[in-house]
Amino acid sequence: MAGTPSGLSTRSPALVAVIAWLVPAAGHLLLGRKRRAALFAAVIGCALIVGVRLNGNLHRPLPKQPMSYLATLGSMGSGAPYFFLRYGLEYSGDPTADGFEYGTAFLLSAGLMNLLLVLDSWDIATGRKE
Amino acid sequence: MNHFALMFLYALLLGLFFTALWKRDRGSQIRLFLQVFGGLIGGAIILGWLMYFLPSGPPAPIPPIQ
Repeated sequence: MAGTPSGLSTRSPALVAVIAWLVPAAGHLLLGRKRRAALFAAVIGCALIVGVRLNGNLHRPLPKQPMSYLATLGSMGSGAPYFFLRYGLEYSGDPTADGFEYGTAFLLSAGLMNLLLVLDSWDIATGRKE
Repeated sequence: MNHFALMFLYALLLGLFFTALWKRDRGSQIRLFLQVFGGLIGGAIILGWLMYFLPSGPPAPIPPIQ
């Protein structure tokens, strides 16, 4: 694979995708894209921290609200941080906080950005992208 | 943080993210960053001014969290 450091081309794309989902930017790091991985980690980490500091909503499924399932999938895109926040810290957000809507946008965007990184890692691991 | 600072930070993060994701050479990276960043900031300001002329309604209800 062109541009891939030696030994990394043999990694399974599925394994890379799973690791990329679990730990934001880890897929790119695993594939030798260190500078890009650092930037992606900084961007997603910043979005998560700002979202939590603003008490944004960490989406979870709500009965009779189909859109909440979609939003939950998007939020879960951030991988391990989602589960750590939700189950480790029992974080859920505060709807009465001033920055609730902004924080929700940051948290949801962090998940969606990481999902795009999973797809990008897959493409790099399969040789479709440099 | 005020509304504009948050909007600025959000546009900055998305601009950096999509630039690093989609472009490789420096020239097209700068162009895409300016497009995404400027589009988000400029679009929000234009939309904000358009909404200024709409009548204001009651505050939105607080969504339930379980």
